[in-house]
Amino acid sequence: MTVGSELRLNRDAEATGVTPMRHALSAFLDAIAVDQDTRDDILIAVGEAVANAVEHAYCGSSPGMVQLYARVDDARTLAVEVVDRGEYISRERRDGRGFGMRIVRSVARAVAIETDGGTRIHMLFDIASAADTP
Amino acid sequence: MNDNSSITVLRLAGELDIGRREEIHGVFQLAPDARRVLVDLSEVTYADSTTLSELLRLRADAQAQDARIAIVIGSKRFARVIEYAGLGSAFAIFDDRGAALTYLAPGLQS
Repeated sequence: MTVGSELRLNRDAEATGVTPMRHALSAFLDAIAVDQDTRDDILIAVGEAVANAVEHAYCGSSPGMVQLYARVDDARTLAVEVVDRGEYISRERRDGRGFGMRIVRSVARAVAIETDGGTRIHMLFDIASAADTP
Repeated sequence: MNDNSSITVLRLAGELDIGRREEIHGVFQLAPDARRVLVDLSEVTYADSTTLSELLRLRADAQAQDARIAIVIGSKRFARVIEYAGLGSAFAIFDDRGAALTYLAPGLQS
């Protein structure tokens, strides 16, 4: 994989847009040769972050945008940010829903959330190329 | 929804995320007289917490009417989502339909 490789997506925050964003990330992960299990886990976590943004970010207001930015920081680290400009709502588990952030934290090496002027979820993932897998 | 002897089968396939939430909610409905329910997700290739929330609701509905549920999952990726959410012991999960049917109705196989 090439350090510095990146993917930038900017889509309407609509439920029907979650699958295409995940597919685009999947193609990027394939292009940088992330092994299959790691790729699947990253898709799970980032899919949850995007779905949460779509579900909660613009409640009660007109739909906005959701951005996804992924970058190979070094040979072992993929950094991903999911950004919306809507109102922050705690994404932790509540009332039988909200498992998304629990899943994100289970997969990512590190997670940070900024809530100034929207929500920005930073995630770092350990990555290994398919060639590194025994 | 399909009936298989006295077992109700609820089936979904493909990628399940927030974009299919209404469809998932519609499929995961129980008839009042359902007592044994096979949730066949063997052809689901991706599922997120939208599906988990709906499965929890289905489980609560089943408990309210004393129905038993078995879930068949074919995707390793989907199984991991359940584990990551901390719900590994919340459901009776099988990777084989026959085992699920045995769990629901010992002695009855389709």
